[in-house]
Amino acid sequence: MRDYPLNNRCAFPHPDASGAGASINLVPVKDGFVFHVLGDAKTDEEALKQAIAKIAPELGGDVRKASPGQWFWVGSVDVSDGRLAEIQAALSGQFALVDQTHGRLRIVLSGTSSRTVLAKGTMVDLSADQYAIGQSAMTQIGHIGAMITRIEDDSFELIVLRSFAGSLWDELQHMAAEFH
Amino acid sequence: MSSLVKCPHCGLRPKEEFTVRGEVATPRPDAGAEEAVWFDHVYLRDNPRGEHREYWHHSGGCRRWLVLTRNTLTHETSEVVDASTLKTGGAA
Amino acid sequence: MTSFRIDGGTLIDRNDVRRFSFNGEALSGFGGDTVASALLANGRQLVGRSFKYHRPRGILTAGAAEPNALLTIGRDGRRDPNTRATMAELFDGLEARSQNCWPNVKFDIGAANGLLGPLLGAGFYYKTFMWPAAFWEKFYEPLIRKAAGLGRASYDPDPGYYEKCWAHCDLLVIGAGPAGLAAALTAGRAGARVIIADEGAQLGGGLLAEGSPIGGKPADAVLADIVGELHALPNVEIKKRTTVFAAYDDQVFAAVERVQKHLPEGEINPHRAMERLWRIVARQVVLATGAEERPIVFGGNDRPGVMMAGAMRTYLNAYGVAPGKRVALFANNNQAYQTAMDLEARGIDVAAIIDPRTCPNIRYEGKARMIAGAMVRDTAGRKAIKSITVRHDDGRDEVIAVDALGVSGGYSPIVHLACHRGGKPVWSDEHVGFMPPENTDGMTPCGAVAGKIGIVDCFAAGGAAAVKALAELGVMGEAATLPGVTQGDATVDHVQPVWSVSSTKGKAFVDFQNDVAVSDITLAMREGYDHVELAKRYTTNGMATDQGKTSNVNAIGILAENKGASPGEIGTTTFRPFYTPVSFGALVGASKGMEFQPVRKSPLHGWAERNGAKFVETGLWYRSSWFPKNGETFWRDSVDREVNTVRTKVGICDVSTLGKVEIFGADAAEFLNRVYCNAFLKLPIGKARYGIMLREDGFVYDDGTTSCLGENHYFMTTTTALAAGVLTHLEFCAQVLWPELDVRLASATDQWAQMAIAGPKSRDVLSKIIDEDLSNEAFPFLAAREVSMFGGRLKGRLFRISFSGELAYEIAVPAGYGDSVADAIMTAGEEFGIAPYGTEALGVMRIEKGHVTHAEINGTVTPADLGMGKMVSAKKDDFIGRVMNLREGLVDPNRPSLVGIKPKSASDKFATGSHILNPGDAVSLANDQGYVTSMCHSPTLGHAIGLALVKNGPSRHGEEVVIWNGLAGTTVTGILCDPAFVDPENEKLHA
Repeated sequence: MRDYPLNNRCAFPHPDASGAGASINLVPVKDGFVFHVLGDAKTDEEALKQAIAKIAPELGGDVRKASPGQWFWVGSVDVSDGRLAEIQAALSGQFALVDQTHGRLRIVLSGTSSRTVLAKGTMVDLSADQYAIGQSAMTQIGHIGAMITRIEDDSFELIVLRSFAGSLWDELQHMAAEFH
Repeated sequence: MSSLVKCPHCGLRPKEEFTVRGEVATPRPDAGAEEAVWFDHVYLRDNPRGEHREYWHHSGGCRRWLVLTRNTLTHETSEVVDASTLKTGGAA
Repeated sequence: MTSFRIDGGTLIDRNDVRRFSFNGEALSGFGGDTVASALLANGRQLVGRSFKYHRPRGILTAGAAEPNALLTIGRDGRRDPNTRATMAELFDGLEARSQNCWPNVKFDIGAANGLLGPLLGAGFYYKTFMWPAAFWEKFYEPLIRKAAGLGRASYDPDPGYYEKCWAHCDLLVIGAGPAGLAAALTAGRAGARVIIADEGAQLGGGLLAEGSPIGGKPADAVLADIVGELHALPNVEIKKRTTVFAAYDDQVFAAVERVQKHLPEGEINPHRAMERLWRIVARQVVLATGAEERPIVFGGNDRPGVMMAGAMRTYLNAYGVAPGKRVALFANNNQAYQTAMDLEARGIDVAAIIDPRTCPNIRYEGKARMIAGAMVRDTAGRKAIKSITVRHDDGRDEVIAVDALGVSGGYSPIVHLACHRGGKPVWSDEHVGFMPPENTDGMTPCGAVAGKIGIVDCFAAGGAAAVKALAELGVMGEAATLPGVTQGDATVDHVQPVWSVSSTKGKAFVDFQNDVAVSDITLAMREGYDHVELAKRYTTNGMATDQGKTSNVNAIGILAENKGASPGEIGTTTFRPFYTPVSFGALVGASKGMEFQPVRKSPLHGWAERNGAKFVETGLWYRSSWFPKNGETFWRDSVDREVNTVRTKVGICDVSTLGKVEIFGADAAEFLNRVYCNAFLKLPIGKARYGIMLREDGFVYDDGTTSCLGENHYFMTTTTALAAGVLTHLEFCAQVLWPELDVRLASATDQWAQMAIAGPKSRDVLSKIIDEDLSNEAFPFLAAREVSMFGGRLKGRLFRISFSGELAYEIAVPAGYGDSVADAIMTAGEEFGIAPYGTEALGVMRIEKGHVTHAEINGTVTPADLGMGKMVSAKKDDFIGRVMNLREGLVDPNRPSLVGIKPKSASDKFATGSHILNPGDAVSLANDQGYVTSMCHSPTLGHAIGLALVKNGPSRHGEEVVIWNGLAGTTVTGILCDPAFVDPENEKLHA
């Protein structure tokens, strides 16, 4: 079998472009994993966190609630196919786990103007006293669905469907342009 | 029309995040039910002036189906619950 | 022309000279001026022509209600018609033009309409232009549109950027006059999150025009202190140049902020919004919108130089502009006397104060002559006022020479926002005005909008309103006070309503912008249109862009007076958003051009681009429709070649846009069994099955394949078109219909790059990159499972399914690798002559094979209509659509059903949508036998083929029919046939 090159291609139009301005910065997250975890009607977030801690403590990462009984488990390490299959099997009594690492992409928007920029898209009140670090919301940025998580003081991680990633990127660039 | 909907899972959200399906019909009949009962379920709607129960889908958020109790006259929304509670009776 | 600029003016900066042009003439003003104040300073009283009669008009107000001074400002794409000169800030290089006049504002040919005045009364259009009907479109309407009207919109695209934003606050304060400032200060000091919005360029409202000191300190210094403190409070957000124009349900308020409209071209930041549309979610609102001074309706009240008394005071104190050299006032209330005092204080001659009240209860110590119990009945002057005619209480007329007349007919609270949610304003005899509705949940009106008079009292009311609103939020607040002020104004006015002057001579205007005179309203009443809503529409009073801000209450008063009723009994018309006009740019926001809607791109988009794809928009998706090669310029050349390549060799097609849903749970099989009309309970692991979903009314909703990938794990594909709809439907079934089932749905459309590899050589190609045995025995038709690829370097999902009818596979790989895998397949397939194919070739091949899509699944067909009646399970107890699918009309054998159709003569063509008739029948829909749903040129057969829904179709194969194109008026002889034109025995599929 000849050696076919295999590259994991980034969906963002300018993968290295980022805001040059001081008050706003836009950077795609290239590494790591996004797992969609689905529980049944009786499962809760605590049970999931305990299961993860037991089964895959080395992955770490955040558990972000998407819907009742549904979470995105997001982390920064790469997970092999084999390890993923093990985790899926170990969780399968309680939770179904779907790999969305390629389907849902992450962008970090940071800087003092990040809230102002996001307010051009989402109705969710992201002000510091209303939206704690670690808090997440499934919402829309303009016409595009996204999950917004506050990861630091003035820093937000967005998760967007891959097919919309280019459009969201362009729109965020426009929204942020006045701060560059 | 409500401008904001208090999703029981996500909190206050703008109506743009939702898709309205329309009036909550009669419960889905058994397969063996009479045709008239099925017609009622599939086609007949009350369209009241006043309290109205509607299915809203939080398509731009948690993707849960909700039931809004909305007054068609005053636009006031008195209750929003997860639609699964129609059948289970409890919290979703 | 003489300058009317005098000393003072709290808003202007005399060191900042700004040049502008008005109708091509070079003029200048100062920073802080509005276009209106600059024009008045330059002695330009005549600024436009009226809508219908082309009468000369001047500047009436100093604010948002302006009905007359509508100018076109700017040029090319930045040209804004119908801009109120009173709201437009002057910038260097501004170009302003009058509207509705030709050849110019001073000599306007349309003014001849004035002579036709008696003919142009209320209902004129309805009565006159009734016949002949054909004349309306060709003659009357163009003529009227040319003669009457406002400014013209630019044909050039607006180069400005616009955007929409959300904002949140505990307290929204609307209006930054004394009441609003006090409310914001009170709430800001209490730590609440406050937004204060005002439409002006500076905060202050009535304070900006105040000439008298407050608590021993000049008004502008008091204002500066308040604004300074607000700026210093981090929890207070100040929005200047921001009009809150609508109050919506659930405490959502819409506002437009004019971010850069006041800047000259060179200072505009192209990346910053010109205007910003705000949606403000406010827990509580303080409404401090103030009150609008009302004109009085008398003969010649529209002549340039006639101005609201309060506006005169604003121009005088805020802009340092004298309204005239010799001014008279016509007022029915005490507050207007302040204007006289301020004018006199600045050395302007006040010729007379005409007060209709016989015994005004006022302490006036000025020099002006007071004429009590009198009315102004007429004015004179061609392009500006020269004199007024006063009718004394003894019936005597007196002509007084003036060059400006200030008018005040009382004050109308600006209640619009309190009424947008359905509340009706309440008439008050005490205030002679309509007050805000009593129940304004979540909104506290205060200050002048609630009938308060005087800066001190309004300020106190604003503080108290904020304390009340904060209490609703559980926050304690202490009302802000004005330093040095120990007692309130305690002003009580005694407004004597004067709706129209009975001794009027000449035309007396109620609605200046729409040219509605008092005679139009009385005419409407005589003709039976005396209900306030009918009178409005018959006369067009209040229907102009100013929405009757200066005219509605007077019109109601005139109706009331003539009916012998109180204005409260007449009532108001309905208040609807928007309060003032909002530009389309702001309403559109950023959603234009490429951002009109998002674009969805397949993970193979880049691969398709590199292979020269022509794209087609399918919903939001860009799909590759064909791939021109070897200089092909005609799409059919490419499509025919692609079809031939697949039928004889092998092709690769991007099918990533198909909807994909992962389904888990102990009851997943039961769930599928209920949502599909065919059986799914016993689908084995490693197998795919074609499924049909019905709607509950028994018609087909969507089709696709679902594969069982493991215990309680299924993978569903839907059509591209209905991907979102099917997921939503499944969620409805799982959450609402059967919440007791353990089923969990995850959308996986975007995770996978999916490719169809089709053609007799497809197995050979895939065997080079997939590590497993793909022989027919090891991987038969409808096999579906995870496979190892590239020597274990990648895992994918392989499905042996076929839309084209060829030996075919679909391979799904994680989206990021799609590009590499597609390239690898192209390389591996090179020796077999592989070519990419697009949706056009896909469409041709599915028609050749007789496969249906949404061209056939059009909402009116059952599975039986599509020849798949046997798939509908008779054994299952229940599934969506089961009962209704058995309805009488849905099982009629005469229903239009799927057939193939081809022309009798191979060279004939026909069109989709054509109707089928029996030979010999008259060409008429009465004889309709069905219609063509899809057609294409079949490169495999060498002629046109199609699919059709024809009555009793399946039993009519071989029958000759007429294909009738009703649009083109042509007929072709066709033959009905088996819809599977290619490989009806499915030998290729199973190869």
